[in-house]
Amino acid sequence: MAEYNVIFYPQALSVRVQEGTILLDACAKCNITINNLCGGDGICGRCKMIVKSGKVKGEGTSQLNREEIKAGYVLACQVTVQSDLVVDIPWGTWAKEKLIANEDAQRFSYLSKGSSYAKNYEIKPIVLKLYMELEKPTLANVTSDLQLVCDKVREVLKIPSMQTGLKIIKNISKILRKYDYKVTVTLGLRRQIAEIMNLEGGDTVDKNYMIIVDMGTSTVVAHLVNANNTETMDGKACFNSQGVYGREVTGRIIRAEKVGTDELQRLLVEDINKLIEGLCSNNNINLQDITAVVCAGNTVMTHFLLGLSAEHIRRTPYTPVSLIPPPLRAVEVGIGINPRGLLYALPCISGWVGSDLTAGILATEMHKHDKLCLLVDIGTNGEIILGNKDWLIASSASAGPALEGASVECGVRAESGAIEKVYVEDGEIKFKTIHDKPAIGICGSGIIDIVSVLLDQKIINRSGKFIQGSHEGIFTRNGISHFILVDSKNDRTKKSIYFSEKDLENVIVAKAAIFAAIRILLKRLELSYSEINKIYLGGAFGNYIDIDSAINIGLIPPLPKEKIEFVGNTAIKGAKLTASYQEAFHEIADIHTNTTYYDLMGADDYVEEFRKAMFLPHTDINFWREE
Amino acid sequence: MGIPELKENWKNTINEVTIGATKEEGGTRCKTITLGGQSTLPFLSFEGDLPNKPVIAGYVADIVPDWPDVLKNAIGKEINDPIEWAQKNVEEFGVEAINMRFLGASEATKNRSPDECAKIVEGMLKTVDVPLILWGCGEEEKDNEVLPACSHAARGENCLIGSATETNYQTVVAICKADKHKIIAEAPVDINIGKQVNILLQDAGLDLKEVVMLQTTAALGYGFDYVYTILERARIAGLQGDKLMASPQLCDIGGEVWRVKEASVDEDILTGWGALEKRGPMWEAVCAGGYLQAGADLLIMAHPKAIKIIQSTINNLL
Repeated sequence: MAEYNVIFYPQALSVRVQEGTILLDACAKCNITINNLCGGDGICGRCKMIVKSGKVKGEGTSQLNREEIKAGYVLACQVTVQSDLVVDIPWGTWAKEKLIANEDAQRFSYLSKGSSYAKNYEIKPIVLKLYMELEKPTLANVTSDLQLVCDKVREVLKIPSMQTGLKIIKNISKILRKYDYKVTVTLGLRRQIAEIMNLEGGDTVDKNYMIIVDMGTSTVVAHLVNANNTETMDGKACFNSQGVYGREVTGRIIRAEKVGTDELQRLLVEDINKLIEGLCSNNNINLQDITAVVCAGNTVMTHFLLGLSAEHIRRTPYTPVSLIPPPLRAVEVGIGINPRGLLYALPCISGWVGSDLTAGILATEMHKHDKLCLLVDIGTNGEIILGNKDWLIASSASAGPALEGASVECGVRAESGAIEKVYVEDGEIKFKTIHDKPAIGICGSGIIDIVSVLLDQKIINRSGKFIQGSHEGIFTRNGISHFILVDSKNDRTKKSIYFSEKDLENVIVAKAAIFAAIRILLKRLELSYSEINKIYLGGAFGNYIDIDSAINIGLIPPLPKEKIEFVGNTAIKGAKLTASYQEAFHEIADIHTNTTYYDLMGADDYVEEFRKAMFLPHTDINFWREE
Repeated sequence: MGIPELKENWKNTINEVTIGATKEEGGTRCKTITLGGQSTLPFLSFEGDLPNKPVIAGYVADIVPDWPDVLKNAIGKEINDPIEWAQKNVEEFGVEAINMRFLGASEATKNRSPDECAKIVEGMLKTVDVPLILWGCGEEEKDNEVLPACSHAARGENCLIGSATETNYQTVVAICKADKHKIIAEAPVDINIGKQVNILLQDAGLDLKEVVMLQTTAALGYGFDYVYTILERARIAGLQGDKLMASPQLCDIGGEVWRVKEASVDEDILTGWGALEKRGPMWEAVCAGGYLQAGADLLIMAHPKAIKIIQSTINNLL
């Protein structure tokens, strides 16, 4: 079959593909991230591209209008390559900032110091370096070289069992003698056993860094942490390149069954590598000095990271390959750090509740509380954990990605220029964007705010319908009411941003799914909202979420504000604690064991609870009003 | 030791809603009806107060509905004129209110204009002295014109206007407030939406004491049990203290029952089912009797025989 060259602009990247390759897949091969949502089903219309020269073949689509077709627009997921091509990717189709600054890095930099781990334990990273000056053997005291090293480690660190690979053992004699018995040993924790990962001459203790990764379905976040003092030095994030294969994990599992898990693994590992390289070069750190990568993420992402097949997670009875994978050499999956560096994929709870939640439990320390706590983590799915020090129960609600900014027409991920806050000032509806850049769309926190504001201003009613004539910002298009936030009519340099009744419906569905899950967990345990002592609200909202707005729309129950805490990205925080304190490392395994998964699929009253929650804030409105 | 008396002590009372206005109250009705007011479940008079008996309203439409001859003949030739039909309902069948539906306003039927509908309302007010329940044709767009006209024609008469749904409630609330009528809050066999509509009405500035709830009525054999449990759950919620569910409830029996085969197809086709002349009104009466048990306060009925049966049921039980 013929092969053709495809060049994409403005990235100026080219790729050679076979005739008949789907244009979107060619784009994926160039690692260009597209803001599409439907994973190539041709229904979201967000992968519009302009074919400047060459031939493509494909079916017609209702997503393009006449002018667009005339101008050479195609939907990249619906056409195949038929000749050499030059393709323009318009503004808006590609995710502009592949690498996005991550302010969590600063926010969580010293947070672990405030946690009880920092208070109660010495810093003891899961990969630590120990400098030793060993006593040289004499005729009177003959010890093997390996024994000499092990004895010293045991003496200092009180580690009972150790293992060493043959490669290290082969080199011990040479290194000890070359460096006059002054050496640094790198020890990695593999569950209860410590592994001598490396032996270097001299003192290299101060060069020990770890990478903490949150493998989100839409965003991958990596932090660079100094293992010796747990300081987060820098953080970076990028959009998950697997996005080309679908916005939700189910779509990606289906694609993985077709194109192979390796392809999904490659995209994720490349993202992680890129983040690591960026972090290292920005901070003048040698890749060799990174000794560990600790990853948290949903169970499917964890499978993709390790190259495990996730196909049975999407089929009843939803069995994963492994929930608590052992530490591995990072290089085994293709992560480029110190060749002996370890990769820790944190333990997951079930096929649908991942290690981002075990990390979340650890970070919030709800597994140590006497009183009842609730952790609500909103990602592409909504996950809910209820419990205290004696028991923990987890559930996952398929909320859809509306609260992340997807499935909302003008929704964007939390990036520069995203409207993150909507508020009323002097009777006018105003907004604030991330970094105060010109508005490009609305992200999760802004979406929660806008629903709350529209409701308070009586522009929408509690069923989520616009009240005609209530505000001059309402307009109707294709029979659907919209509320305009930014109008490009008066200022062509701006992008029009609006929020439609359909968007509103998606948001209500999302919040209802989450709230219904909360209700069912409480009901099963014969508990009520008022018994919740603390609600931790986490997720990829960006840097802010308005608790009042979240209560006002009924995302969370109306408890006194001091009982609700916005915890942001708990996956990162928990993973960092795991990396920094061996006690936490053991605890997270206990959390995995002690958390029960409750599958809402088996809850016969879920639909009823869901219906009740499909109202703003809730059909049981008295509870909101009385508070 | 005697057997302990087990009585439920409910926290709340169902709202009392009066329909119709006498001369002193600014209308022209000789009689008014009052719904609700209970402090216990239907017919449990030993447990609480049941100050108002359930009420039967006679079904009337401005065109002859698509009904079986059995029913049309029982009503008589008056069925061809809404005002005469209403009069017969009151004088002969003994109903306490008239339920008027403008089926002829639909484009599919007579496409009657709002003015014509209003004229009929005026005529009816002059002829009968009981309270009116007024409905459009069920097509939202047309009803948005018909209902205001009819409401205006009957202003001050404290009618019951049907119906406010999740989508059209703004208009209906506006006319009820302007012309001082009561409102029917309608939900599609979903107790949650039932409550949501009430919340929407309240948000739109309506006092829930002006509301009668309609959970949509199902004919016996066509989802009767669903509606029964919803009526019952709504009533229990209201009695338990949920003020949003403490409204009286209505059932449109006549409008539903005569559309199902059990009440409209005779034994020449349904062999062995018995004569329709007997079966039809029985079907309507049994259906109405069931809903009475569930907590219906206002029953819309069509067949004079069925009306008689239910009247005597009510009088025997209360």
